[in-house]
Order: sequence, then structure tokens, then C-alpha cells
Amino acid sequence: MTADTYTDATQAAGEAMIQLEAVDKFFGDFQALKDINLSIGQQEVVVVIGPSGSGKSTLIRCINRLEKHDRGRVVVDGIELTDDVKMIQVVRRETGMVFQQFNLFPHLTVIENVTLAPRNVRHIAKQEAEDLAMTMLTRVKIPEQAHKFPGQLSGGQQQRVAIARALAMQPKVMLFDEPTSALDPEMIKEVLDVMEELAQSGMTMIVVTHEMGFARAVANRVVFMSDGQIVEVGTPEHFFTDPQEDRTKLFLSQIL
Amino acid sequence: MIGGPTAVATPETSERPPETKLTPGEWVRKNLFSTPLNSLVSILFGAGLLYLLVGVVGFFITADYQIIRVNLANFVVGRFPRDQLWRPVFATGILSVAVGLTAGGLTIRAEALARETGSTFRRSTPGDWMRRFWPLLLMIAVMLAFTTTVTPTLVSLGVIGSGVVGNYLGRLLPAGARRWGWSIPLLGLAVAYLALSGFGGLDWNQWSGLHLNLFLTVAGIVFAFPLGLALALGRRSTLPTVRAISVTYIEFIRGVPLITLLFMAIFALGFLLPEELRPGNVTRALIAITMFEAAYIAEIVRGGLQGVPSGQVEAAQAVGLTPWKTMRLVVLPQALRHTIPAMVGQFISLFKDTTLVTIVGLTDLLRVSNQANAQPDFLGQGLHFVTLAFVGLIFWVGSYTMSREARRIERRLGVGER
Amino acid sequence: MTATLHPMPVRPPFWRDLRVIRVVTQLAAVVVVGLVVAWLWNNLTTNLEARGLPMGFEFLDGPAGVNIADNEFRPSQPVRDALFVGIKNTLALVVAGIPLLTVIGIVVGVSRLSANWLVAKSAAVFVELLRNLPPLLIIFFVFNAVILELPGLSESWSPFGLLVINNRRISVLGFTASVGVGWFWVLVLVGLLIAFVVWRWRTRRFDDTGEPHHRVLWAGGVLLVAVVVAYMLTGRPVRISLPALEGRRIEGGYSGLGAYFGVLAALVLYTSSHIAEIVRGSIQAVSQGQVEAADALSLSPFQRLRFVVLPQAFRIAIPPIINQYLNYTKNTSLAIAIGYAEITRIVNQAIGNANPAPQMILILMLIYLVFSLTISAVSNVVNRRLRIVGRT
Repeated sequence: MTADTYTDATQAAGEAMIQLEAVDKFFGDFQALKDINLSIGQQEVVVVIGPSGSGKSTLIRCINRLEKHDRGRVVVDGIELTDDVKMIQVVRRETGMVFQQFNLFPHLTVIENVTLAPRNVRHIAKQEAEDLAMTMLTRVKIPEQAHKFPGQLSGGQQQRVAIARALAMQPKVMLFDEPTSALDPEMIKEVLDVMEELAQSGMTMIVVTHEMGFARAVANRVVFMSDGQIVEVGTPEHFFTDPQEDRTKLFLSQIL
Repeated sequence: MIGGPTAVATPETSERPPETKLTPGEWVRKNLFSTPLNSLVSILFGAGLLYLLVGVVGFFITADYQIIRVNLANFVVGRFPRDQLWRPVFATGILSVAVGLTAGGLTIRAEALARETGSTFRRSTPGDWMRRFWPLLLMIAVMLAFTTTVTPTLVSLGVIGSGVVGNYLGRLLPAGARRWGWSIPLLGLAVAYLALSGFGGLDWNQWSGLHLNLFLTVAGIVFAFPLGLALALGRRSTLPTVRAISVTYIEFIRGVPLITLLFMAIFALGFLLPEELRPGNVTRALIAITMFEAAYIAEIVRGGLQGVPSGQVEAAQAVGLTPWKTMRLVVLPQALRHTIPAMVGQFISLFKDTTLVTIVGLTDLLRVSNQANAQPDFLGQGLHFVTLAFVGLIFWVGSYTMSREARRIERRLGVGER
Repeated sequence: MTATLHPMPVRPPFWRDLRVIRVVTQLAAVVVVGLVVAWLWNNLTTNLEARGLPMGFEFLDGPAGVNIADNEFRPSQPVRDALFVGIKNTLALVVAGIPLLTVIGIVVGVSRLSANWLVAKSAAVFVELLRNLPPLLIIFFVFNAVILELPGLSESWSPFGLLVINNRRISVLGFTASVGVGWFWVLVLVGLLIAFVVWRWRTRRFDDTGEPHHRVLWAGGVLLVAVVVAYMLTGRPVRISLPALEGRRIEGGYSGLGAYFGVLAALVLYTSSHIAEIVRGSIQAVSQGQVEAADALSLSPFQRLRFVVLPQAFRIAIPPIINQYLNYTKNTSLAIAIGYAEITRIVNQAIGNANPAPQMILILMLIYLVFSLTISAVSNVVNRRLRIVGRT
């Protein structure tokens, strides 16, 4: 098993932020993740691409325990994910997730959506939480929508609110599960712009997406998955111009 | 920062999933004793439940079922002349054949459809049927356990047998039978009716017992459906007066209990009709039930119609279909398909509501229970528990079975909730 | 050269003219319905005349001739009064039943989703058993098989001395008020106000500092203390009155007809099984994505339930639950089968006493219509208030 050479480099830089070792995940008899080994360092932006059913979503959902891995180790910021409920809560505090279907709470206003967790989990006072929320909403460029309900916003605006909601918990890692797949084309750019700004500000991000332009422009590393395995890992420059594996070449030829 | 892209070596085989089957001990621990609170609840609740079960089961084991044995025929066919019982038997047989035919025809259609779309279709085995209808079979077994001769058992086997025969015959139907296939159940009903009342038989005003409940349910739905359909279309009409009439009718009927309509039918209908026209009691009940159900069916159909996208109507108009043709060929088939689960629900509801006719003096299954308890042999012995449990079993099995079938249809059609 | 075109309006022949068809169809509908109604009306008047029965509603002032159990109603009182008693009895069932069936329905519905297998399965059996039975059967069962089997008056059953149960009446413990009860209520009211203030204070504290408010515990605790203090200070003005059998009467406590409790129990059980299904369905209907978003934000399971699942489930459940309230109200008419004197039975008896059936039944229907329309109106208001705001 060849070790990821990048791991050595990050070990030198400091503890890896996220570590997956020999991770397997089964759904019944179907194996969704096969021997996943991946290390992600601080402030790194990793983009995961691959065909449908390759296990990309399962991978990042194992990182905040929305899915439970069957074998191997998942370590986030030094905390290993086991059945320990308390530790799971800690990990979830430090990771923020943005979903394909936004999953905003429809019965709460935008600002209530964003302040819910900070107030009730981090016990931040109301005014402070609202100030924090407005900062985040400004960062995603929709502060004027604070008192609207999610149902009154467009898809792109909703997804940006979802990003603000995740950021309001001030996580160390942001996980994106196909954030633009459910958006109309004209709204994809506004969300990708926000994500790019986030990356440049130094956030550690793992992004599952089909947006190759984003991967090329923003990623530090690109991971290609197929059939539950990591097939190839590399920088965007090498990945898109000089892929090594045949499966990678096949996939890229079909989409570029 | 990094060397070239790296490839990760891939494992050759996919491994077995970790064993997740729980042993009985572990299952108990997980489901009943996972937390201290859970354990406390399990113990207290379990104790109470056990007490209750022992009491109920003990009661049923020691109860005297003579009252049911003696009155079994009363329960099923009421006061039907005992020398003419071949009529209900024959009618049931005919209906069984009709049901079998329809089921067989639907199987063929499903198979053909599966072949066209490339999906697999598995023929149901007798084991499948038994698993699907075990409450029904259990109920029949219980009823037969109360019989004193072997004839009813033979008759039941005969009826089930004719259903099976009908199923096989149905599978022989050509695929094009779809167009007139729906007439088979109606034809079956007509023949069954003739067997019961024609050629010197018993007019429906004399029917009683479970027979009456079933008749009122089926006839109620059959007669209410056209009226309900008309009301639903009327409610969607762009003509204000037609709309007003439909809405008034529907909202009025849905706001009053069925019993008031039954009262109206039994006590007041005579005032609304000329002297010569005095329908029998069952007819009156049927009129009340039909008028009642029509309003509810109208709402169900309205829901179905709303579910048909407006694009369908526009496409039909663009092709040049007249309004009537559009409704008949495009809108209604789609709308009615979507209403099937709700219709079955209404059918079940009606089946349970037919018990109300006992209040206005008709002898349905529920009244037989009261009558049996008033017989001199059984008076004052507290046997209501026994007879009502028996009647309850029949209604419960009927409702539960139809409920399950409705859910099955819902799943098959992919309609209902997400 | 410009030529102005004046298009000639083309009038289609009248039998194809859409506007004519519309008017004619409506006219035809009105005429047909009108003819049918006229025919029915004609029959009605002829028949009523032939029987010597009144056409109008003057009979309402005539003597009712009915006996109403458990009531000081005299048969010589007018029909009008009898109807009021009937309505009152129906309301007794409705007002007592609806809170009961809501509570039981919610408890059973939530239990169905419990992690404890025993609890979940028992709830499932409860629901599936009752849902599939006719309500009238359940009423007969509770009445004939349970209540009538209770011991007779002289052998009344008195469990723990708290209740007196026989086959005619069921009496539960009640409360008697003595001197000072007025002050008691005043002090309780003060306690309520203090509890309200405590609630607001804890909420404000949460807003200011973020510290969990536990306001239910705080306010509830304060209220409890206030009630106990009030009780003591006013010299214990409220006593428990236990029902006791004295001869042929029950003294003390709250007493109700066996028939009343029978119908109440039966219909509450039946309707609560439907409510339980609705509650369960509404919780499961909240999409998985909402649950995952709450988890991803590290909300605890309780917080997830309180802030995300229940508010949405509640909105989904309210319309069908109110519909069940409507069904329950209509089902109270079934009490006639065991002789409880709600409005349907009163009407039935009045008809039996030579009051004209068509008018009486019409009145009965109108009474239920009023109930239905009221509940529907409430439902509409509630739905509008709870609507999740979407794109207008």
C-alpha cells in the first residue's frame, strides 16, 4: 500500500486536520467505501470528484458521523469518531456541512436559522449571535434577507444562507456535499464565488462537486473516486493535464 | 508542494461486511434495556402488559362459545330462509370467480407491462397469497371452527377453489381485454344479485346479517360513484349555478352525521314521496348511504382531478380533442388512478359505517349480536363480550385486509406520500 | 394606400355559440333541480296535510313528552327546551372528549416511535386494533360488555375508596369549596402572574447571556410553590370530596351516567387511534434532510426535536387532527344506540312523540351543520396562522 506522499508533507507542517485510515463502509451487502486512506491538512481545500455511486458523499458524511464507518479510523482534529456520543457532538461542532438540498429550516427566518445553533449549543447571547449572523450573511452577500423566510428566497440565496448557517458555528472544517447540484445554472456562480472567497480566507474545505472549473481554480488537491475507492489524488495542474490511472482518464474524457 | 499525482493501490476483492446480526441476548439489551430509564419502562410496562394478556387470553380460553355456534347462520345471512341457502353460496361462488378473473387479468397486464419496460415480474405463489391474506384465512378458519357439520367447510373450499379457477381463466384472457375487462366485476355483481333475488329469491329489503352489511357497502359505492363523479365535475365547472349546487350539496352532506341521513330516509322519506312510492327499509338506507358517500367520493375525485397537471388538458386541446373527450380519455383515467388508495379507504369507512343501520332498526351483523344475547337461552349471561368479539373480528379482518391492499396498491402505483 | 380594416364580428349560429350554451346549460340545471325540489315539496305538503301534521315550526313550543335521564327535565316542558338539553349533553361529550383524545393520541403516536420495543409495539397494536373497528361496535362493546357488567347499585365497587362504580353511574372524586376559596383563587392568580414574570426573566437571561433558560422548570416550580402557599394561607379551602353510596343515591364527588362514560371512553379510544397515526405520520414526514442538518449543526437529539422536528410536524398534523375533531363530534350521534340523551336521541324521541319528522330532522341536521362549520372555520384560521411562509 503506497502511502500518500502528501501526508509526509503535512506531518511536517503539523497534525493533519482530518485523517481517514483504512475506512470501509457497507450498506447491507454493498460496499460503498473500500479501504479509504486520506489525510487532509489545515487550510487545505480538497475537491472530491467521481461518477455517481462512487462513494463521494458517503466519504464526507462519515467525517461528521452522518454515516457510521464500519472499519478503519476516522480522526477529526485529533478526535477519533467512535460510538462515544459526546465526542461525536464535539466533532460536529467543529465541522460545518452544506447540503445539496440546502435543508434550511422552513419555519424559521434566515437569521433564526443562522443563530439557532450558536445560541443553543455554544450558548452565545442573543445580540452577539445576531451580530455574528449578520457578519456571516454579509460575507455571503445577502444581509438584507435576514428577516425573510427560506421559502421566499431563490435557490442560490438559500444555499448561501446554508453556508452562513454552517459558518456561524465557526467550524474548523467545512464540508460541502454537491452544493450546486440542485441549483439553476445562473445561480451556481454566486455560490461558487462565496466558496472561493472562503477558501482564500484559509478555511479547511472538502468539497464534493461536479464543477471542474472550481476544482481547477481553487483546489489544493483533487481526489478522484470510483466504485468506493480513491483512484487517484493530485494537484489540479497534474490531475487535469496528466492523469495517471486509466479510470481517471476515462472519467475526464467524458466530462471535459 | 507535492510530487506528481499519486495512485492508490486498489484491493483485489471486496470484503464481507462486518457481522451485524444480533444475538437474542443482545437484541433484548438493545431494544429493552439500553438505558436505565428504558429498563424501568420495560419492566413496568412489561408487567402490566403481561397481566392484561393473561386476563384476556384466559377469558377467551374459558369462554362459552355456544352462543356463536348456535347463531352462526344468523350472523352470516340473518333470516335468509334456510332452505334457500344455496343462493348466497352460489352468489359468493360467482363473485369469487369474478374476483379471480379480474386478478388473473391484472396479472397478465402487469406481466406484459414488465416485459415491455424490461423489469422483472414474479408470479405470486400460493405461499405468497397465504402470507398476504393470512388474517382473512384465519378468520374463515375461526368461523368454520364454530360450524357443526362439514358442509360449510366444503362450501368454503369450493368458493376459494372457484376463485383459483377464475384466476387461471383470467390469465388466459387476451391482453386487449383491458377495454371491457372492468365490466367483469360488475357482471359478477349482477349475476350474484340475480341468484339472490331472482327466480323466487329474496328481495333485498329482506336481507340481513353480514350479508346486508356487504350488500350495503358494495351497492353504496357502486351507486354513489357516478353521483360523486358528477358532483366533482360540477364543483370544478365554470358555470356558477352548477358549481353552487355541487358545493352546497357536498358541504351540507359532509357537515352532518350519517345517522341523520338515515333518520331522514327511514322517517321522513315517506313524506317526500307520493303515496304509491313507499320503498322498503333497506332501499331507504341505501338511498341515505348513496347520498352520503357521493359527497365524500366527490371530494376524493376532486383531489385526483387537481393532481392532473394542467399541461395535460392543454396538450389535449392542442391536439383537437373536445372537452368531453379530453375528460374521458386524458384527464379521468389519470385522475382516477391516483384516487384508488383514497377510494379503498372510503370503501373501508363505508363498510364500518354500515353498522349504523342497526340504529334505525335494520338487522345487520351488529344487531344480530344484540339479538343473540336476547335469546332466552343466552339472556343475561354476559355473553356480549363473546359475540361482540366475534363480530369485531369479522369487521377488523375486513378493514385490515383492505387497508393492506390499499397500501400495496399505493406502493405499486407510486402515489401517496413521497 | 392604407385601408383600415373593420373586422366584422362573426356571430356563430346560436347552437354552437359558447355563451349561449353556457347560459342555456345553467338554466337547464336550475330548472331541473327546481322541478325536482318542487315535486318533493309538493309531496311533503300533501302528506303532512293528510296526516294532520303541522307545516311550520310551532310545535317547538308544544310539550316534548320525553323523559331525559339524569336531568330535571319534565315532559311537559316545550320541545325547544328538550333540544337545548340535548345540545348541552352533546357538548358535554365534545368538551370532555377532545382534550382527552388529543393527549392520548399524541402520547400513543410518539410512543409508536419509541426506541423501546415493547412500548413501540404496544402502541402499534393499540392503533391497528382500534382503527379498523367500527366506532359503533366499540361503543356497544364498552357499554354492553364492560359497563353493564359492572356490579349493581347495592354492590357498587369502590376501589381505594376513591371511586364508586356501578352499572348505572360512575362517580369519581370531586372537590368541594368552602370559605376562603375566593382568596385562594386570587392568590393562585397572583402566583400565575409571578410565574409569567419568571418565564420572561429566564427568557431575557437566555437572550443576554446565552445560558440555558430552563424556563419551564422555573415557572412551573414557582407556580407550584404559589399554589401550595395559597392553599395553606387560606386555610385549606378546597377539600377532596369522595363519593359515597347513601341508600340509593351517591353523595359527593362528580357523578355521571354509565352511558356517558361509556360513549366517552369508546369514542375517545377510537378517535385517539386515528390521532396517533396522524402524529406518527407527521413526525416521519419531516424530511431526513432536516434531521441531518440539525445533526450537522451539533444540536442534541432533544434540541433537534424541539427546534426542528416538532414545529414542522405540528404544522403538518394540525389540519388532519382538526378533521378528526369534526369526525368525533359527528360520531357522538352514535350515543343514541345506548340511550345517552344527546341531541340525536332527543330528536328521535321527540319524533316518537308525534312531533313532525321532516322538521325535526332538519333541525337536527342544522345543529350538526353549525358544529361542523364552526370547527371548519377554526381550522381555516389555524391553518392560515401556521402557514409556512413561501414565495408569494
